[in-house]
Amino acid sequence: MIKQSNFYFGLIFLGATTLIGCSSDDDAGNPDDGGENPAAESQYLITATPTASEGVADYILTTDDLTQGSITTEGNGIEQDGTYRYYVTHNNKFFSLLYGQGNPGAVTTYQLNAESNLEKISDFQSETVQAFAPVNDDILMIKISRNAESPYAYWYQLDTETSQFTGEGQINTQELADKENGELAFFSWITQVGDKVYLPYFTVKACCNDTFGTDYPDEANIAVYSYPEMELETVIHDDRTSYIGRYFDNGLSVDENGDAYAFSASVATTNGELTSTKPSAITRIKSGTSEFDQDYLFDIEAASGGAYITDHIYVGNGKAIGILMDEKTSAYSTGNRLAVIDLYNQTLEWVTGMPSPETILNVTKGMDNYVSEDESTVFVGVTTEGGSFIYNIDVAGASATQGLEVEGGQITAINRLDPVE
Amino acid sequence: MQTLIPRTIILIGSLLLGFFSFPQQGKTTVSGVVKDTNDKPIYGATVLVEPLNKGVSTDEQGYFQLSIGTGNGSYTLRVTYLGFDEKRVPIELGQTGESPYNIVLEESSYDLDEVVVSGKSIVNQVKEKAFNVNVIDAKKLHNTTLDLGHALDRTSGIRVRESGGVGSQMNFSLNGFRGKQVRFFIDGIPMDNFGSSFQLNNIPVNLAERVEVYKGVVPIGLGADALGGAVNIITNTYEKSHLDASYSYGSFNTHRSMVNAIYVSKSGFTAQLNAYQNYSDNNYDVTVDVADINTGEYYPDQTVERFHDKYHNETVIANIGVVNKSYADQLLLGVTTGSSYREIQTGARIVSVFGAWHRKGNILMPSLKYIKKDFIANGLDVRLNANYNFGQEKNIDTLHRRYNWFGQYKEYDNPGGERSYSLYEYRNNTGIATASFDYELSQNHKFSLSNTFNTFNRKGEDQLDPDSEIYEQPRKTIKNILGLGYGYEAENWSANIFAKQYFQQNKFSQSYNPSGDYGDIAYRDQTNKFSYLGYGLALTHFFNDDFQIKASFEKSYRMPETEELYGDLVNLQGNIDLKPEQSYNYNLGASYWWHMGTQHHINLNANGFYRDASDFIRPVLNNNQTMQVMDNLGSVTNLGIESEIRYQYREKFSAGVNVTYQNLRNNTKYEGGQTTESVVYRDRIPNMPYLYGNADMSYTFQNVGGTGNLLSIGYNMLYVHAFYLYWPSLGDDKFDIPEQISQDFNITYTWKEDLQFTFECRNIFNKKLYDNFSLQKPGRSFTGKIRYTFF
Repeated sequence: MIKQSNFYFGLIFLGATTLIGCSSDDDAGNPDDGGENPAAESQYLITATPTASEGVADYILTTDDLTQGSITTEGNGIEQDGTYRYYVTHNNKFFSLLYGQGNPGAVTTYQLNAESNLEKISDFQSETVQAFAPVNDDILMIKISRNAESPYAYWYQLDTETSQFTGEGQINTQELADKENGELAFFSWITQVGDKVYLPYFTVKACCNDTFGTDYPDEANIAVYSYPEMELETVIHDDRTSYIGRYFDNGLSVDENGDAYAFSASVATTNGELTSTKPSAITRIKSGTSEFDQDYLFDIEAASGGAYITDHIYVGNGKAIGILMDEKTSAYSTGNRLAVIDLYNQTLEWVTGMPSPETILNVTKGMDNYVSEDESTVFVGVTTEGGSFIYNIDVAGASATQGLEVEGGQITAINRLDPVE
Repeated sequence: MQTLIPRTIILIGSLLLGFFSFPQQGKTTVSGVVKDTNDKPIYGATVLVEPLNKGVSTDEQGYFQLSIGTGNGSYTLRVTYLGFDEKRVPIELGQTGESPYNIVLEESSYDLDEVVVSGKSIVNQVKEKAFNVNVIDAKKLHNTTLDLGHALDRTSGIRVRESGGVGSQMNFSLNGFRGKQVRFFIDGIPMDNFGSSFQLNNIPVNLAERVEVYKGVVPIGLGADALGGAVNIITNTYEKSHLDASYSYGSFNTHRSMVNAIYVSKSGFTAQLNAYQNYSDNNYDVTVDVADINTGEYYPDQTVERFHDKYHNETVIANIGVVNKSYADQLLLGVTTGSSYREIQTGARIVSVFGAWHRKGNILMPSLKYIKKDFIANGLDVRLNANYNFGQEKNIDTLHRRYNWFGQYKEYDNPGGERSYSLYEYRNNTGIATASFDYELSQNHKFSLSNTFNTFNRKGEDQLDPDSEIYEQPRKTIKNILGLGYGYEAENWSANIFAKQYFQQNKFSQSYNPSGDYGDIAYRDQTNKFSYLGYGLALTHFFNDDFQIKASFEKSYRMPETEELYGDLVNLQGNIDLKPEQSYNYNLGASYWWHMGTQHHINLNANGFYRDASDFIRPVLNNNQTMQVMDNLGSVTNLGIESEIRYQYREKFSAGVNVTYQNLRNNTKYEGGQTTESVVYRDRIPNMPYLYGNADMSYTFQNVGGTGNLLSIGYNMLYVHAFYLYWPSLGDDKFDIPEQISQDFNITYTWKEDLQFTFECRNIFNKKLYDNFSLQKPGRSFTGKIRYTFF
């Protein structure tokens, strides 16, 4: 809280500012009077970023119910430093990572204390990374080059127990991509498959005014690494789709059988124009194999009547929520239509009860939404012209109901923590 | 009696402004010498021929010469000088070969001290214009070790925010406007293209005679797209030969020196040389959380010394030409040349620390300046300026290391940089030409026309990536601002109306896919054009000699800067689609002078302002979030007031306080296509000081250790109210920038008017000072300075 001015300085200035009426409406609401919440309950953590011209990081809000009511950032929530932050929950700890424009930044770790209050455990410094995901008891982070002159990706292993880095190394992404024109591999995300780390990548020119463009828009590649040694074992290749995942977006999920399903939006660009000729589709890598299953191809564009899949949320038992969009305009736009996808039967059913797509301004990134423990409901953050809401998707019925309203911000992530003993 | 004197002086002053003229050939001339009763020449006395209202000032020898035209007959020479009684000498003109007049002025019955206080200097004359302007008399600060940035920081309404110590990045805010919304001028020439070697906070205050700070509405003569105000630094007036030199040494191994030499011959030949240098290690202590270089673990609240923040610059400004000739009042050819070196210690936030990344820059800028009063026609004044900067900037980030605040680092053995691998080197090839014409139709009616033309043509290369540049060509901009104004002056009021035409054209290249086949790439040249019309009005009224009010309004624009359009290819990405910002500015101010007897004087100033601005050009992160990019965002309103009170007792004691309060509010009701009201609509704009001020006091002891030797002690306090880093209304666990109070003390001893010793202590109590996203500034520092005026 802001300290009051020293009295005598106040006097001096008061004397001079004969005319100033100094309002003090800036002192934000009262600090929490300490929770009297004897029954320790799990809490949902909702991070919301105010949509405002002065960029600001998300506020962390806590609630125990996503199905109804409203919550606000006004005078409420933990303010975070920086402009962009990203989150991952692992081992019942919530990690908030600063995206520091290529510079190192502080990662703040939170847990829920016995009174169900959010408690900051520690800060540590991390590089700004473009991919991070839980692998075993670690969080694996990768900083990826977009500059052909220094074609290296750096990986870091964060021990979630101590919140310290325990290992690091580098990958020559030009050698990995192995392209005639020298394009670099750019990992879209990280997925643990069995005891391996799968890194789907797209190739980028990383130069010449077309940094994220490619001359290879019609191929899918996944680099397979051992863990924790991070030694390259193989690269899995497929020509039936464009690349898996998108920039800063997971496109690979593993089901209960250990089979990995790969989602391609088919949004590769060359000189700013979309150049993939393959359909947006889902492919599969069967457990124990290191190749795409050539018998499996789920053409999303055919199943959806021309829409493409920008993102997904894996639910369980072969079900996923797909986030789709009708018209392809850029490699970065997020979808505005939800569908329940049955990966086993290759069917797609549009979710009813959602706001009409044209009114949707943003849907929370797939991996940042929350799937209920019983896998029956998926909580998805949606911002429309009329505000931000958490939609409760009933997976079995493919229907959505509007739940908690989040006032004053776009929902960037929904997480859940259990209180520690 | 007392009030008569200022009135007379105002009158003379305003007459001089309008009718200043210089000898012309083939006409009757009258000449002479003005001395005091001790037979010492009086320099700067005003000699007027009545009723012709022709006037001139005496030179160092007390000599004056004045051409009268062809009018024969009886006239009166009226000779005045501050602190002396006016003298009227009847003269007869008509025959050639007038003998020189010897005029002796007698000291008036008032003490000189008092008259100086109530008399109106140029500083006050400028203040009395209809525009809302603050004038800093820089000469009073010449014995301090301040740079221009810090001198401005002591002015009401102004906050200069810095990222660190000597030579650090500076951010200027004026009544809520900030960054490029406020334009800077040197002698009326826009400073847009001066590069990194020539910034306000590395120019010593001794370079300036005075600094005019226009708040809100800017006169036509300063022809630029200043949206929220302008700062005009007036350097030399070429009145007489002068040579002084100074050197200072202080904490953090800071050396500054300056030589200022001007030669003015009787024939009008003049040569000027300004040379100065700043050097600092900037190795002051900061308190930070230091990360372990390997594990990332933080050691909280460590006090460490900054280790990679060295800065130095060297600049020479040379001018040669003529003054006070029939064809030119000033005709000067000059060159500004210099270099700068800056190590970069931190990124935008203190957590990101660097140990090798640095930048270099240089400036090589020829210039031409021409000023003539009564050009072609009587009453037509003309000013022409042109300069071209061949300077170059270089960014050097080639060590692939990661540092922590202990100065430890990890090094990687493949190519890379600390931030981004770069050896980028570029020239912006900027040029400026300005022309302004002022025509005084009669004593009441004045017309002004001014035009400012800028060019920009960036060429650069990166040795590490030699191909990248070919894709960026061309990057060219031309900008032209044309202004037309009319002023009416009556005895106790004046008015100005004006209109400005803003024009900008940007040429750049864009990549596209000509055939639709993948892999096909081509570049085409694109052209963007903007053209806007702005206008405004300024009024002032004197109720009496001691009470004045001012009001002004303007609709103004500021065009996107070339760096904002094309990026600096280091941290700023270009955005070629930027639109100009626009603002409606309203100002209302009052000044009151209050004299208690002959020895006590009080001046009160208060200005209220309201701004309604839209399409603010603000930084956001780019798509890949690696660089900043400027974008047109939102709108804000700002209702504020700044006030100043100053007290003076004879020439001994002076004290003043100024305070600024600004209510800067977000006026964007709906964000990004939403139909619900933004949660921060009408919230205070974060990370901006909104209540701040200064207090200063000085006392001068006369005749210390010898007649005429002065000892003066001065005190300055800076206050900034605490403010929030992010939106005030959001969250309940927040970041703030705490209240800041810094106190400075200095003592100066002047020996025989030409040798000065100064000792200065800044931030006496070693308080933590923050700026720009809570970057820490230097703690207590000591500096000694010696200055010698040769003549």
